[in-house]
Amino acid sequence: MKKICALICAVIMSFSVMAASNPAIDFVDNLADDIITNVLTADVTPEQKLEKFRAAFTQAVDLKSVGQFVLGVYWRKASEEDKQAFLEAFTDFTTKTWADRFNMYSGQSILFSGVRNAERNQFYVDSQIEDKEPVEVVWRLRQKGDSYKIIDIIIEGVSMAMSYRNEYSAVLQQNGGNVQALVEELRKKSAAFDVQKAK
Amino acid sequence: MAKIKYVLAFLISCSVLVGCASVPTDPVEAELYHQVNDPLEPMNRTIFAFNQATEKAILRPVAKGYRFVVPQLVRNSIGNFFSNLKQPVYFLNALLQGEVKDAGIILGRFTLNTIWGVGGLFDIATEAHIASPTHDFGQTLAKWFWSGDGGPYLMLPILGPSDVRDAVGRGVDALAEPATWVVEPEIWYAGWALDKLETYTRSMDLLENLEKSSADYYATLRTMYRQNSAKRNGTAKETASAGQAKPAYEADFSDIDWEDDE
Repeated sequence: MKKICALICAVIMSFSVMAASNPAIDFVDNLADDIITNVLTADVTPEQKLEKFRAAFTQAVDLKSVGQFVLGVYWRKASEEDKQAFLEAFTDFTTKTWADRFNMYSGQSILFSGVRNAERNQFYVDSQIEDKEPVEVVWRLRQKGDSYKIIDIIIEGVSMAMSYRNEYSAVLQQNGGNVQALVEELRKKSAAFDVQKAK
Repeated sequence: MAKIKYVLAFLISCSVLVGCASVPTDPVEAELYHQVNDPLEPMNRTIFAFNQATEKAILRPVAKGYRFVVPQLVRNSIGNFFSNLKQPVYFLNALLQGEVKDAGIILGRFTLNTIWGVGGLFDIATEAHIASPTHDFGQTLAKWFWSGDGGPYLMLPILGPSDVRDAVGRGVDALAEPATWVVEPEIWYAGWALDKLETYTRSMDLLENLEKSSADYYATLRTMYRQNSAKRNGTAKETASAGQAKPAYEADFSDIDWEDDE
C-alpha cells in the first residue's frame, strides 16, 4: 500500500514539475530575463545597448519568415533582389522600433499562464504583463529542433505580423505593388530613428 | 445632443467633398479592399490629417506641460475619478450582455471606490486585486444584433479610430452616463477634456513610437483598431471549415517556406 502511495505521489509530482517548466514557456521566460538583465538594465552606452538588443532580437525572432508573411501576396511576385533588400530593411527597422519599445520597460513583471498548440510545430504562450491595467501578451513560437523562434507577438489581440502585413499592403497598394518603394520608405524611416536618437 | 449633430454634419460634408474610395479592379487589391472595409478612406484620411495636426500643434504640447506640472499622484487620482464615473454605464452594459458576474464585480468596485476611495479618487478595488471588466454598448450591439467587423471603418474627428458600430455605441454610452444629465454642460465638457488629456498623456510615448515605426501610420492604426475590436467584441473571425471561432490574431502562416522544411 505504501508503495502505491509513493508511486502515485511520484506521478503527481512529475506532472506538476512538467506543468511548471514547459520548454516553450522557458524559452520566452529566459528571453525576457536575458533582455531585461543584459540589455535594458545593463550599464552600457545607448549604441552598445542597441547592438546587444539587435543580437538577442534577431536571434529570437524568425524575421525571415515573418518578413515573408508580411509581404503576403507581393512576396511571390517580388524579384530575389527585392526580397533580400526588403528583409534587410525590415530587420533593421523592426529591431530599432522594438528596441525603443522595450526601452519603455519600467520593472513590470511577466506572468505566464499556459501554452496552447497552434499548428504542427507551433505554440502560443499566454502571458500577462503586470501593470496598473495588465496587458495580455501572446507569444507565437515555432519549434526548430529543440529550440524555438518567435514568429508573432500578439498584444491585446493585436498581432504584430498581421499589423505589418496590413500596413505594408496599404503602402504597396498606393504605389502599384512596387517593393523597392516600400524598401526606400523603410530605410528613410529607419534613418529618421537614428537622427531622433542622436538628439 | 447638439454635439452629435455637429459631428454628423461634419462627417457628411467631408464625405461629399472627398468622395468614396473606388473598388480596385485587380483581384488581389480588391480582396484587400474588402478586408479592410474602409470605403470612406479618402474622407477618413482627411480627418486623420486634421487629427494629427491638432495632436502635434495642441494636444502633445499641452500633454507634455501637463505631465511636467501635475504630480503623478494627482494624475492617478484624475484617472481613477473618471474611470470610476464610467462604471455605471459598464454595469448597465454588463447586464444587457447577460454578464451577471461581471456586473457584480463592477457594482462592487464602484461601491468600494466611491465610498472608501473618496468619490473615486483612489482605486482601492484594483489595489485589492479586484478585476476591472469593461462593457460598452458597442459590445452589447456586437453580442446580440451586430456580429462581424462593426461596419465601415471611421476616423472620428479628435476621437480617433472607430467603426460604425462603435460610434453608435459611444453615442449611446455618452447619453447613458449619469454625469451627462446631472452636471452643467460647461463642466461636463471640461471634465471630458481632462479625461481625454489624462488618457492621451498615458499613451503619448507609445503613440509616438508607433508613428515613427510606421510606413503608413493611418493603415497601422486601422489594422490595430480592427484586431483589438475583434478581441473586445468577441467577434473573432470564424474559420470556414470547422465553423469554430478562432482568435482574430491567428495569422495564417501556411504559405511560408520555412527554411528548415525542405
